[in-house]
Amino acid sequence: MSPARALRWRQVRGDLRHDAAVNVALVVVVALSACLMGTGAMVMERLLSSVDRLFEVAQPPHFLQMHKGEVDLAALTRFADRHPEIESWFVEEMVGFDGAALAWERPATGASGDLGESLIDNLFVAQNETFDRLVDAADAAPVPEDGEVYVPVAYQESIGLQVGDLLTVATSSGPRTWEVRGFVRDAQMASSLSSATRFVVSESDLAALTAAGGGQPEVIVEYLLTDPGLASDLERAYAADPALPKNGQAVTYTMIRTLHAISDGLAAVALVLVAALLIAIALLVIRFVVRGRLEDDVRQIGAMRAIGIPARDIGRVYLTRYSLLAAVGCAVGGALAVLAVPLLTRGVQTHYGAAAAGGRGTLVLLVALAAVALVVVLGCRRALRLVRRVEVVDALVHGSTLDRRQSRRRARRQARRARRTSLAGARGGVTRRLALIDLRADARQWSLVPVVFFLCAFLMGLPAHLLSTLESPRFLTYMGAPQVDVRADLQLADDLEALRTDLTAALTADDRVADVQVHALVLADVEAPDGRRTVRVEVGEGAAQGIEMIDGAAPGPGEIALSLLNAEELQAAVGDTLTIHEGDQSRSVVVSGVYQDVTSGGKTAKMHGDPPPGATGYTFFVDLAEGVDPVALAASYDERFEDVTVLPMTAYVEQTMTHVTSAFRATAVLATAFGLGVATLITVTFLQLRLARERRAMGTLSAVGFSTAEILGQLRGKTAATAAVGAGLGAVGAVTLGGPVLDVLVASAGVGLAHLELAPDPWVATGGAVALVAAAWLAAVGLTVRLRGASTSTWLRD
Amino acid sequence: MTVTLECRDLTKTYTSTDPPTDVLRGVDLSVRSGEFVAVMGASGSGKSTLLHGLSGMDRPTGGTVHLEGRDLTALTDAQMSRARLTRIGFVFQQAHFLPNLSIRDNVLLPALKAAPREQRAVLERVDALLERFGIAHVRDHASTQVSGGQLQRASICRALATEPAVLLADEPTGALNSSMSREVMDAFTDVHAAGTTIVMVTHDPACAARADRVVYLRDGRETGTRALGPWHAEDAARREDELLGWLRTLGF
Ligand SMILES: Nc1ncnc2c1ncn2[C@@H]1O[C@H](COP(=O)(O)OP(=O)(O)OP(=O)(O)O)[C@@H](O)[C@H]1O
Ligand SMILES: [Mg+2]
Repeated sequence: MSPARALRWRQVRGDLRHDAAVNVALVVVVALSACLMGTGAMVMERLLSSVDRLFEVAQPPHFLQMHKGEVDLAALTRFADRHPEIESWFVEEMVGFDGAALAWERPATGASGDLGESLIDNLFVAQNETFDRLVDAADAAPVPEDGEVYVPVAYQESIGLQVGDLLTVATSSGPRTWEVRGFVRDAQMASSLSSATRFVVSESDLAALTAAGGGQPEVIVEYLLTDPGLASDLERAYAADPALPKNGQAVTYTMIRTLHAISDGLAAVALVLVAALLIAIALLVIRFVVRGRLEDDVRQIGAMRAIGIPARDIGRVYLTRYSLLAAVGCAVGGALAVLAVPLLTRGVQTHYGAAAAGGRGTLVLLVALAAVALVVVLGCRRALRLVRRVEVVDALVHGSTLDRRQSRRRARRQARRARRTSLAGARGGVTRRLALIDLRADARQWSLVPVVFFLCAFLMGLPAHLLSTLESPRFLTYMGAPQVDVRADLQLADDLEALRTDLTAALTADDRVADVQVHALVLADVEAPDGRRTVRVEVGEGAAQGIEMIDGAAPGPGEIALSLLNAEELQAAVGDTLTIHEGDQSRSVVVSGVYQDVTSGGKTAKMHGDPPPGATGYTFFVDLAEGVDPVALAASYDERFEDVTVLPMTAYVEQTMTHVTSAFRATAVLATAFGLGVATLITVTFLQLRLARERRAMGTLSAVGFSTAEILGQLRGKTAATAAVGAGLGAVGAVTLGGPVLDVLVASAGVGLAHLELAPDPWVATGGAVALVAAAWLAAVGLTVRLRGASTSTWLRD
Repeated sequence: MTVTLECRDLTKTYTSTDPPTDVLRGVDLSVRSGEFVAVMGASGSGKSTLLHGLSGMDRPTGGTVHLEGRDLTALTDAQMSRARLTRIGFVFQQAHFLPNLSIRDNVLLPALKAAPREQRAVLERVDALLERFGIAHVRDHASTQVSGGQLQRASICRALATEPAVLLADEPTGALNSSMSREVMDAFTDVHAAGTTIVMVTHDPACAARADRVVYLRDGRETGTRALGPWHAEDAARREDELLGWLRTLGF
């Protein structure tokens, strides 16, 4: 090391120790930013490589067309012959079942259950040989024997299915059972937003299952192209050919990829956004810290400049110091990110398979860290431009970083302020008045506190309010169910009609029950502009009673109400007429209204009238007499009727929403911890610097007769007040802006909701703000408590 | 005459240094009511430390300080700052004014705090003080907008606004040129003539010559005291010569 560099190094090291607490805080903020940024980037990279890897082994189609009904094979062959870019194609036959038609059982333990609560279409297929293979954990495409089934990995995850379990499908001609042989990943339908999933059975089992009836036969026409880029051209050509089957969705390779990236990448995007927020906070703090440091060092800087050291070299000493801090922060953040990534990518790994943690992940992490470091260092450089403006004379004589013109301007500003404000006539005591005057005079610096607390309160409030919305009783109205006390579901039983009669009789005879409504679940074939669709319709007296319509009204006789997603899919609006096919007959119903529903994949409908024969299930909505405990009643009925699920409505909501709410609860807890931590950290840093800055004023107050307790109390009060302003505004902001944010979220999630009324939890909103202010207060107390017995004359010494 | 301010065997040791620094090693001083005492001594002899101890800003390591018969060292922080607010005025070498307040508000600050309910009386008193020391015309200025002499006179106003029992001053002319210095010393003389008790630290024999008595500190001990008698402007030069002669014998 050259003597000059050695000197600089010594300076850097010494100075770092000087401001230890502030520097540690700075490192922590940078580390948190770097950790979130790095984690977000790495999760994204993991997701994309996992998707790539799965695409490589499974080879999803470059273009596919779904269809229900007859397929003209000759037309398809003609189409393929005319298009040389088609490398390979086939028609995949599938038969789809409602989740309620599927049950599982574990012979070893006798445990069992159904897949009824999943909102997903279950499609049975045979393994594809050429492409669009469904692959197991070893990346092989298993071909099941008769009596064996390969189940989507999602069910392994969500229900805990195991190899050896039995899977039963209720068909029109009785139940059929398979043994689970393994689990498969599905490149086409792996996304957590996908509304369908595929089970693999043998060719002959598939034929038998289709023949058994009760399922919905469906096909996918799939194409593999010589160049995936030609997919959209082929899509156009396909759409233009009237002979080709196309009453379902047409999907290209890019769309599949995009869907994967969006659905499972949202968390990563959220991480990156929070990281950006944190970097903004870090930049504010850095500016504050650097400026403060320079003001403290100004005489030294003036002396160095006086002996002819160029400003650039002086600046470099400081830049080296803060770059070092940034580097340490980024290194720590990077290490944390490496630890966090496996936890966050577990879901991705199940759906898409584990990609080898290759060099690309490391590279992405390094780039993210470098970006954070770069932003931080550039922020420092900006703040350090002040060094160049320090004038030797002003620095040495007045100890000011300002040049003469700035000094004069500042003096004028101070003079104006001094003339305008007045201590006399002050209400609320001299001390409070003085604090207010100080706050106004140093507003630029103090504004750091409310800004940070606003951001933190917002960050804490948003997920908490989303959670309380999902948990509010009002949310029932988004689940296509009336607000009743107890709900009973019977489905899939051999003696469905007998059960219904028994349960109806029991409930009507029970004097604890005030009212019972029975809705039948019917699968109806509805004519849509692009072909027929099967729609789950609830039929009953007042089937849509107590359900809020976002458009139109509840259905009367001859009318139907559609869920939002069904209205979209059937391209039907209020007042339109729909044709329903029932066997050979068909009848017309008028759409009376549209409502929001997240159950059954968001695709439901309600009709007024008597339950028709041949219903696939029944739902009982039970209102209880005054004072009857729904939990106890539900439990007693659940026990008495083994094949009926009887649940208090609150429990039903909880069960249905549990995967969503638990995710939000985790986020809310995390955000709270995070917000409080960051707020405390920034307060400590800020106050540390503020104490140094206000030392002389504090000494003056002490000299004229203010007690140390009063002086420190003033500082604590200023901190708490500014924090309260920020936290209060942030809490209000989260409540008011939360609604629009939520609407954007639910609309883009495509779960069948258009508009959610935010049900903010007032306790959470005020509690969060109070906790933040308390954190600020505690930080202030912690920092000032050791000054209590200080000899205040030292505050006046240089 | 009654004794206003008195310290006995006052010691102060800073333990933050290694080895600990004994700055005051047993100082005895009693100041009679209405007396003007100047404290002199070489740099580092402990003069400022003595004043801080007398004002209660620092707690001495040992000894007692009595102000109007009350032992300051036995008071709590709150009581001590109350005593400082109402019974002690302090003037520093640098004015130490709050930058966000006008001259008048700086002067008002302790007086308003001491008697918040007598705002009108306090305002009248302060305005009269500003008038008396010739700075009424700059009262709405910021502290950066007035001369050093004006600022120091404002400092004296602030110290007197609470009508204290004693005025402590630590090199009040140390940062001023000689004409401003004279301005400020005239103010002190004026205050003294009106009956206020003063303890002033100074390096300048011309300033010290204004006092009734000069105390000399050396290495934290009082090594000499000399009474000068009442001040008359006519024999300023003679007093200064006499004082210088005495100081030389002490190694000044
Ligand atoms: N907080 C402290 N810690 C350690 N030593 C201190 C502290 N404050 C003052 N001293 C030391 O005490 C001694 C006396 O300081 P003091 O300020 O009382 O001297 P002084 O007589 O007022 O000097 P001057 O004429 O320069 O103002 C000095 O040597 C100083 O270094
Ligand atoms: Mg001194």
